[in-house]
Amino acid sequence: MYNNQIKISLKINGQENTVHAPPDISALALIRDILKLKGSKEGCGIGECGACTILVDGKSVNACIMLAAQLDGREVLTVEGLNNGEKLSIEQNAFLENHAVQCGFCSSGLLMSTHALLSENPNPDQNDIRKAISGNLCRCTGYHHIVKAVGEAAKQSAGDENNE
Amino acid sequence: MKEAMTTSIGKSIKKIDAVEKLTGKPVFCADFGFENSLVLKVLRSPYAHALINSIDTEMALKISGVKGVLTAVDIPGKNVLGIINKDQPLLAENKVRCIGEPVALIAAENEEAAEKAMAAISVSYEELPAVFSAEESLKENAPVIHEKGNLLAKKTIARGNADQEFQNCAAVIENTYTTSHIEHVYLEPDAGAGYVNDDGLLVVYASTQNPHYDLKEIISLLELDEQQVRVIQTATGGGFGSRLDLNLAGFVALALYHLKQSVRLIYSREEVFLATAKRHPLKITMKTGADKTGKLLAIKARILCDTGAYGSYGIAVAARSAVHSAGPYSVEHVDVESSCVYTNNPFSGAMRGFGAPQVAFAYESQMDLLADALKIDPLEIRQVNALQNGSVTITGQKLEESVGIGNCIEAIRSHYKDACQNQFIKNTRPYQKRGIGIGCMLYGIGNTGTKNPASARIEIDQEGTITVFTGCADIGQGSTTIFTQIAAEVLGVTTDHIKICTADTKFTPNAGATSASRQTYISGNAIKQAADKMADTLLDQAASHLNADKANLILTNEYAVITNNPDKKVSFSDLAVSLHKKEDDTCWHGFFDPQTTPLDENGQGAPYATYAFACQLAIVSVDTLTGEVNVEKIVAAHDVGKAIHPEQVKGQICGGIAMGLGFALMEEFEPGKTISMKDYHIPTSIDIPDIEPIIIESNEPSGPFGAKGVGEPALIPTSPAILNALNNALGERIYSLPANLERVLEACIKSGNFEPKENDNE
Ligand code: FES
Ligand code: FES
Repeated sequence: MYNNQIKISLKINGQENTVHAPPDISALALIRDILKLKGSKEGCGIGECGACTILVDGKSVNACIMLAAQLDGREVLTVEGLNNGEKLSIEQNAFLENHAVQCGFCSSGLLMSTHALLSENPNPDQNDIRKAISGNLCRCTGYHHIVKAVGEAAKQSAGDENNE
Repeated sequence: MKEAMTTSIGKSIKKIDAVEKLTGKPVFCADFGFENSLVLKVLRSPYAHALINSIDTEMALKISGVKGVLTAVDIPGKNVLGIINKDQPLLAENKVRCIGEPVALIAAENEEAAEKAMAAISVSYEELPAVFSAEESLKENAPVIHEKGNLLAKKTIARGNADQEFQNCAAVIENTYTTSHIEHVYLEPDAGAGYVNDDGLLVVYASTQNPHYDLKEIISLLELDEQQVRVIQTATGGGFGSRLDLNLAGFVALALYHLKQSVRLIYSREEVFLATAKRHPLKITMKTGADKTGKLLAIKARILCDTGAYGSYGIAVAARSAVHSAGPYSVEHVDVESSCVYTNNPFSGAMRGFGAPQVAFAYESQMDLLADALKIDPLEIRQVNALQNGSVTITGQKLEESVGIGNCIEAIRSHYKDACQNQFIKNTRPYQKRGIGIGCMLYGIGNTGTKNPASARIEIDQEGTITVFTGCADIGQGSTTIFTQIAAEVLGVTTDHIKICTADTKFTPNAGATSASRQTYISGNAIKQAADKMADTLLDQAASHLNADKANLILTNEYAVITNNPDKKVSFSDLAVSLHKKEDDTCWHGFFDPQTTPLDENGQGAPYATYAFACQLAIVSVDTLTGEVNVEKIVAAHDVGKAIHPEQVKGQICGGIAMGLGFALMEEFEPGKTISMKDYHIPTSIDIPDIEPIIIESNEPSGPFGAKGVGEPALIPTSPAILNALNNALGERIYSLPANLERVLEACIKSGNFEPKENDNE
């Protein structure tokens, strides 16, 4: 059985990790089924919904249409890597405070897109925000509170930087 | 009116289950599993209509890793499902009626074995002629889908004499409107799991909108009694009506029953598309007449609903589409018939609004056409006809209070005026047209003219911890959060002092379905009643403790306190201890069933105890060369009675608008053609405009703290508002949804906007 498997070494949520996995599985399957991190969701499996959004070397990607093998040697961030124990990240807190969660199935993907946006563009306007999250479908909220939350997160993180 | 002081009601507290979702905890069914779970797969029919001559599972069972292949013969009890009428087998018996109908259930140690088994089952089908349109299906020689005939139900509303009254009208408008199959696209694909415990109890986990209904169906399928099965709702990633059907809990339970081993079943998105209910496509022919002041005098409608292969919620859609066909307006003479018809399309079921969004598209288009014919402003004609306190609906129901449609329209007025003034100034590009549209609606809260109660329970333990028990499934809308607000308000504590246990048939009382925008109103009332009883007991107990008059006591901050002597108080935990010591009741029950009367043969009665109302304004621009529509803004005024959690109400409004925008402009499920999310587009963050939600509170006396509901009302006015705006922009009306690129472009060409005239001075 092990003959068919490939070795993948990656840094995930700050931790070095080496795993053996079948060569044909997706990055999402690796994360959910082998690494047992269930925060990244599968909503479509074909790159249409964004529920599986993760960051690979800081760029947001749909994990469902990426091969697990492509994570070898890369640095991966999933929703589990955002908060520090009990302490929510700026994005998570903004989503909580601004009522941006309804069913929450889209939330992890949206948080990752938000994280990527804020690291590239600390002062996004409404349009930047809407564009940055346009690959993340949400059927519950109409995006209203999400756009607001992302804006608040941006303000918050800009404020944090000024404090440093 | 005097505003009562509240501590929890009207406060937008943090959503109870938000943190676990934001931190990626494994709360959805696909996120967790039980040791050595078998993988379940469902073999489905490739034919729309066929007899099954035989099913041979022998080869499949020989495949290594395959643990079982179950078919209809393995169902020990009644192989028939349906919440309103029972007509749908869990596994096809000797006939399939639509593509995707389940035929066999496979259980295997892994995916590969299950896939191989799927391919190895041989089913001998004998194809039958099929019918895919409701009209064709009613014809004499149409293929017979169900033995009892192809007409599932017909609902009539007859009042006065519409045909005669049309002769007294200054304007009469008649048109036919059509809508498409719509897919719910809740973001979490259906998932279920389960195990058998040491006592033989079948424990079923599912993403569902009604665990108690699931339980009932499972025990009927398996001929078990209630104590032998437990259904637990997992975090549910939206529902919008589809998870009111027994989507997969029946398969999980059947496998548990036979294999006594833990199992899991997760649908791919493609399987969700193939297997679950759709919104009913409707064909509505509507004739509406008004006098010269715009006052509606008569309405006549013939509505045809395609329920596909099975009934599901079809009868409710027939009833609701008829009852809601006049919208939030008074009209004396009514002649409406709504028929729900079987076809070999995928089955249609509940979807946010149960036929009301479809008929709103028709009656609100008609209102604009009447306004145009009579040269009356579209907003005025609506206000002229709006129901008021004391008005009588088309079912003959007198609405005593909480009729907020007039206030909703008024709340839109200034936005509408502004938009009218600015509309043409901004019409700058040559191939761009802008338009403004209004959509109004009414929506009956709860099931139509039938009993639909909810129960609830509240307990206090020795330590004084208060726990609410409700069977209500929170599918993301936030009912769990607002129930804690209701209990906290009554008991004078903050919401973090209320624990809540939801949607687990072993521990929670039946709250009925999370549907029909009913839970805030109905379960909210049941919980309030239980909390009121508990408060009463605590006050009695405190009165004897403190040697005080009960009337002078209040509950606050987990204490019973003497109002004019706040130092004299006794804590809830002390009261709990003495209640427990005396072996007094420490558990209180609440029950609420809205006061309704069934509709008679003329559709007369009081089908709902209360109604929600709304008015929305849409501003759109159209690129007349491409047919592309940009919805620029929506202002939405919704009468919710009382907003217990204002931000959640706004969340419902905005989410409903997004779904309504999809319904209006882009969504269409084509049976046999729509396979995956590549073929079916829902609005993204770029498609959704700036939304301005406005909450109108018209206080419903029978509601908990005056609340009604908002889940479905949010979506209903959006598509008519957008379609009216499109007509306003182009001068050409579209009568079929969705108003997609092709239809809009066709309207651009027809109206001459495709080639702008030289001296077009607009
Ligand atoms: S699951 Fe990856 S984009 Fe939908
Ligand atoms: S909150 Fe349900 S899909 Fe976004």
